[in-house]
Amino acid sequence: MKLHTLTLLPDGVEIALPEGSPLTDIEYETSEPLIPFGCRSGACGACVVEVVDGAEALGESDPEETDFLEDLGWADGNHRLACQCRLLDSATVRVVEN
Amino acid sequence: MKNRVSNVGYGDRKPFLSAAAAVELRAEMDRQIDAQVVEWYANVPAAAHLESKDVDSEYYKRNLIETAWRIRLLRVAEAKALVEIAKQSPEAAQVWANYEMEEMLHDELFIQDLAKVGVSREEFLATEPYLSTKLLAGYFSYLLDHEGPLGVVAYSYLVEYVNVKLEPRKLVALKESIGEKNIGGQISHSHTDINDDHPGEVWAAVRHLIRGEQDVEAFKKYLAEHQTVLALYFKELADDTIAADEKTAV
Ligand code: FES
Repeated sequence: MKLHTLTLLPDGVEIALPEGSPLTDIEYETSEPLIPFGCRSGACGACVVEVVDGAEALGESDPEETDFLEDLGWADGNHRLACQCRLLDSATVRVVEN
Repeated sequence: MKNRVSNVGYGDRKPFLSAAAAVELRAEMDRQIDAQVVEWYANVPAAAHLESKDVDSEYYKRNLIETAWRIRLLRVAEAKALVEIAKQSPEAAQVWANYEMEEMLHDELFIQDLAKVGVSREEFLATEPYLSTKLLAGYFSYLLDHEGPLGVVAYSYLVEYVNVKLEPRKLVALKESIGEKNIGGQISHSHTDINDDHPGEVWAAVRHLIRGEQDVEAFKKYLAEHQTVLALYFKELADDTIAADEKTAV
């Protein structure tokens, strides 16, 4: 079983997850909710993160996610809805304050 | 007064199994299923029949009919399972709902393939399911009423795991015996299972529903019990088709 590390900025908290885990799984690894997940279905926009490193490691964004991010004002391609990502390799993200 | 609301997945929603422990348990369950498959090929009559060169056409058609009926009957039970899952874990319910969205109408894929081998929709509808197929649906009802949703989810894990592992081999053989253009529905079904990672999806629901060692033990038992009920079906199918054909030929 391969573990990959998701690093969360600004605090630099590192969470190890098995390859392919949905990012929603980080919630079960700590007592603090590190990303504010809401609907977990790409519909509420609560879980936007800025990808600082390892964009490919989070899997591909589908057109619906990209459209929604654009609607939310994140059209730069550096942002993702964490609930729509899977950890395929190590990556670093920063939680966006709403 | 104390709030009386219960059964809505409140409370500690952290799964019993850590991410690493869940991966380990999944590997253990996969090994159990692999062993069950070996036993299956050794003991179930005509278990590998669809992988042979000379497929009995009655066996083939009836297997498609029963597969479509099984999907229809179980989707009722699997929809009821969603209610029970939601009472325990909203996260598992979300995963399960998404999985069911993809699976719900897959009976149509098998009905399409039936038409290609000369079995009309009317003929399909006029065929009553085997007793073993009804028993499987009845077992699901029993589980939901008396043991909870884990057994129903365990069935999907077993079927999805086995499909991803064995279906490609069966489809290669069926392309030879039945013809690639006649099995398009089955190819599409298998494509969804593999590309949408259905085993992984179902496992995500399992992880949220396992809430202690007793559930781990129950899960292992469910896998074995489902296999036993499915073996009843394959025996009934072989008796009704291949064995019956042989009798007529004598
Ligand atoms: S949790 Fe709602 S969009 Fe991700």
